[in-house]
Amino acid sequence: MIAQPATTPGGFLLVLAVLLPAAGTLFSFALGSRAAEKIALGLTPVGFFLACLVAMKVAAAGAPIAYAIGGLPPPLGIALRADGVSAVMMVTASIIVAAAAFYARAKFATPDGVEESRGALTFWIMIQAIWAALNLIFVGGDLFNLYVALELLTFAAVPLVCIDGRPETLAAALRYLLFALFGSVSYLLGVALLYGLYGTLDISLLAQRVGAAPMVWTAAALMTAGLLAKTALFPLHLWLPPAHANAPAAASAVLSGLVVKGSFFLALRLWFYVLPALPTAAPGAVLGALGALAVIFGSVLALRQARLKLLVAYSTVAQIGYLFFVFPLAAGAHVWSPLGWSGGVMQILAHAFAKAAMFLAAGLVAEALGHDRIAGFRGAARALPLTFLTLGLGGLSLMGLPPTGGFEAKWLMLRAAAASGQWIWSLPILGGGLLAGGYVYRILAPALADGEAAIQARPERSREAIALGLAVIALALAFAPQGFFDFLEIGRPFASGSAP
Amino acid sequence: MIAALLVATLAAPAIFLAACFVGKWRERALAWQFLAPAPGLAAGIFGLSHAPVAVDFPGLGLSLTLDPPGALLLAFAALLWMAVTAALWRDRAPGARFGISWLLTMFGGLGVFVAGDLVSFYLVYALVSLPAYGLFAFSEDPEKRRAGAIYLAFALLGEALLLLAFALLAAGEPHGSARIADVMAALPASPWRDAALALIVAGFGMKIGLIPFNGWMPLNYAAAPIPAAAVLSGAGVKAGVIGLIRFLPLGVPMEGWGEALAALGFLTAFYGVAIGLAQRTPKTILAYSSISQMGVIAAALGLGLARGDTGAAGDMAFYGANHLLVKSALFLTIGAVASAGRLSRRSLVLAAALALSLAGLPLTGGALAKLASKAQFASGMPALLATLASIASAMLMTHFLIHLTEMSGEAAEDARRETPAVLIRFWPALALGALLLPWFFADAPGEALSLGKIWDGFWPVAVGVAAALGWRRSGLAAPKIPAGDSIVLYERGFARMMALGPVFETADARLRQWPAAAASLLLIVLALLAAASI
Repeated sequence: MIAQPATTPGGFLLVLAVLLPAAGTLFSFALGSRAAEKIALGLTPVGFFLACLVAMKVAAAGAPIAYAIGGLPPPLGIALRADGVSAVMMVTASIIVAAAAFYARAKFATPDGVEESRGALTFWIMIQAIWAALNLIFVGGDLFNLYVALELLTFAAVPLVCIDGRPETLAAALRYLLFALFGSVSYLLGVALLYGLYGTLDISLLAQRVGAAPMVWTAAALMTAGLLAKTALFPLHLWLPPAHANAPAAASAVLSGLVVKGSFFLALRLWFYVLPALPTAAPGAVLGALGALAVIFGSVLALRQARLKLLVAYSTVAQIGYLFFVFPLAAGAHVWSPLGWSGGVMQILAHAFAKAAMFLAAGLVAEALGHDRIAGFRGAARALPLTFLTLGLGGLSLMGLPPTGGFEAKWLMLRAAAASGQWIWSLPILGGGLLAGGYVYRILAPALADGEAAIQARPERSREAIALGLAVIALALAFAPQGFFDFLEIGRPFASGSAP
Repeated sequence: MIAALLVATLAAPAIFLAACFVGKWRERALAWQFLAPAPGLAAGIFGLSHAPVAVDFPGLGLSLTLDPPGALLLAFAALLWMAVTAALWRDRAPGARFGISWLLTMFGGLGVFVAGDLVSFYLVYALVSLPAYGLFAFSEDPEKRRAGAIYLAFALLGEALLLLAFALLAAGEPHGSARIADVMAALPASPWRDAALALIVAGFGMKIGLIPFNGWMPLNYAAAPIPAAAVLSGAGVKAGVIGLIRFLPLGVPMEGWGEALAALGFLTAFYGVAIGLAQRTPKTILAYSSISQMGVIAAALGLGLARGDTGAAGDMAFYGANHLLVKSALFLTIGAVASAGRLSRRSLVLAAALALSLAGLPLTGGALAKLASKAQFASGMPALLATLASIASAMLMTHFLIHLTEMSGEAAEDARRETPAVLIRFWPALALGALLLPWFFADAPGEALSLGKIWDGFWPVAVGVAAALGWRRSGLAAPKIPAGDSIVLYERGFARMMALGPVFETADARLRQWPAAAASLLLIVLALLAAASI
């Protein structure tokens, strides 16, 4: 790999993208809940605009853009780097954060006559902190720097789980926090080992230096296990269902759509950017096998949940499993690797939008019906057509039916599996789709059936529209042109089949 | 011109669908949706007399094609959709839920005949399969709900098999094209040829009710109201036929695969009749007749594949098109007979001609269909089996006519209520149309009028009718076989699988304990290390 230039044109945009929500967090903290809401809402379009600018710069350059903090190139300084995938993830994060923020106004507005509302302040601060941490993860070029971002992400996400202070949410949050800390320790150990070996934590410098030494594998295994714990890959999912099912809907959307993708993104960085030169087929297969278990277990358990939010949360456990097929299907520099890579990234995006939409819709259902027991959904689709349309479209993507991003992801992954001769991965991919069909049927069939659902409070149109908008994006992903997938290849080592 | 019509075939239903999203337009869009198949009808008629065309939209990755087999099926399907839709909405205003399901099914049911690349074929194929659930399964009746769940399960399973098949097809195409013509050209040399073919036969076999995947069809048609059963049995099932036509490499002789498919087809043809003879409700008997007829089509396509005969595509499209008209008309006949109470002699003759058309009765469209299949069933074993299939069909259709005239009061009341009045009033015209229309589209209709051919067509029908009447006279009772036959076994297996659910729950509860999770974390580290050191 060529030495990275310290700072490329447009590199300061990366700093801005991280600093903007970080500054928003600080000002919100200083100015109180009423101002915090305004700051958070006001920043979302700016952040979206910045993310789009970054994507345009990357597309125009056809290469990653970078910024060396303090003007010092690595290994002395710390680099921020955005390639195709980073840019796409930043845009995704800005859209979902914006959707969650505008959706949450109804719940977390500070009422008139109240000076300060603890829940509201927590929400508006933490959602900006999550956003800042995610952006730092997407552009961070240094493994320790990324560790800091990962911690920030966890500490910002935990309070969202227990925002309403009920005992069971506190227990869920505590569970999340403790297990995430386990993961952090494991990750940090691996980072320390790498630093001891090579004296740098810069991703591109490490990529040039690493060899297949036992110590390197130990570091990779520890870091990966830590990241899996934070991603809630089965069987490390103990914290996810209670945390995601008990958080407020807007928070669940961000947690399920984005936060678990943050740690997964780091796993991608580790295996595809730090270690791509090493023989990763066997560890990749281990990760894929764990993914397959997650798909089957998560889907079966989703089938058996009585409450909508728990069903959607277990569906996340299953959908996270799909992400891990990227490790066997995109490894190396084969002709099929780009297919697997595109499929993996498409799965991240499709799940992010579809699941965020479904959690927002599930929140509306719970508010409107006063409960989210699936057994009590008879006739609810007639009372809440837009919301159940959202659930249906999101479900379509989870099942992998066209025309949705979920279909596109499965289509790409299956083609990669066929072309690489690893047909074994097609079994969980298809089986998971069938099981998803089962749990989506469980939601929709009673809701669409005849009957009169008792509506306690009609949800506002605007909130229904926000959820539907996210589901429509999940649908629109199916029409991504080839140029989009070429863009995802920018900056990936071995991209486009170049020799190692 | 034809390119524009081809685009409009898909665009018209899409526009109606889009209009449904605007609340105040919805009702009108649904009421006028009978116009949506008009471009498809025009495209089909044009396409019949033109060389195959393909329209590509590289930006969208979309490609449309129209060849004579597709055009014939498209034209007949569009006609059927228009007639039934117009009658249904003239007679009553079905709710939005039913209307949108109808429109989606129609969209898919027209699209499958023109989709030219893997992804769009998959999309329209999903549309013709899944939304049909909404045409019959939203009901308080547990039997209808059961039919709906089983229908969806098979549809989704078929979708999954086809997705994998299509992925293998795409992977076998060296230049990355997803056009059906390109992937099919590359298939014979593809390393995944056998796996892809197996998946294709299983996937489309589910749609056309090949054994052992036939059980959903009788439940579906029994549960569906008559207009829905008419379009599903007529136009819907043909999605599977066009699927086989498009995705079997008919130009290259493949003896093993061809003969296997032919055997499966004939087996299905006789199995359908055998089980159908044990049924008592007219709708269910018609469903088994469909299974049997689709078996004949599969057998002919299999023999075509074995000989590398591309002509089988056009022949079986014609056979399928005839079945499309006749089977839908037969479902409407149930309604017509139910409302008439007693059949006049003239109506009885018409109904009998319609029913026996499926067995190849001379002078009906069925005689032409039989003629179209003779290239595949020319001699030897296939010819014998095809003749036996005709006899068997005649038996089953006689059995149908008997039970049609003996419908219970309740069943007749249901059938009368389900069928739009317009269709009942014009039933004789519809039935005549279904008998005569194929004559305008046959290659050499004159041949069917030769004395030899008339005799060839007549005697199996006579034997079949006589056998059925003799069997009835003998008073021998058929064994009681539930509608859906093998489905009972699948349901039992499914229940056993569902019983595993608590096992998963217990395992999940255990794994989510702290010690287990910590141990898992450690094990993952060790597993990764072990994998890396291999």
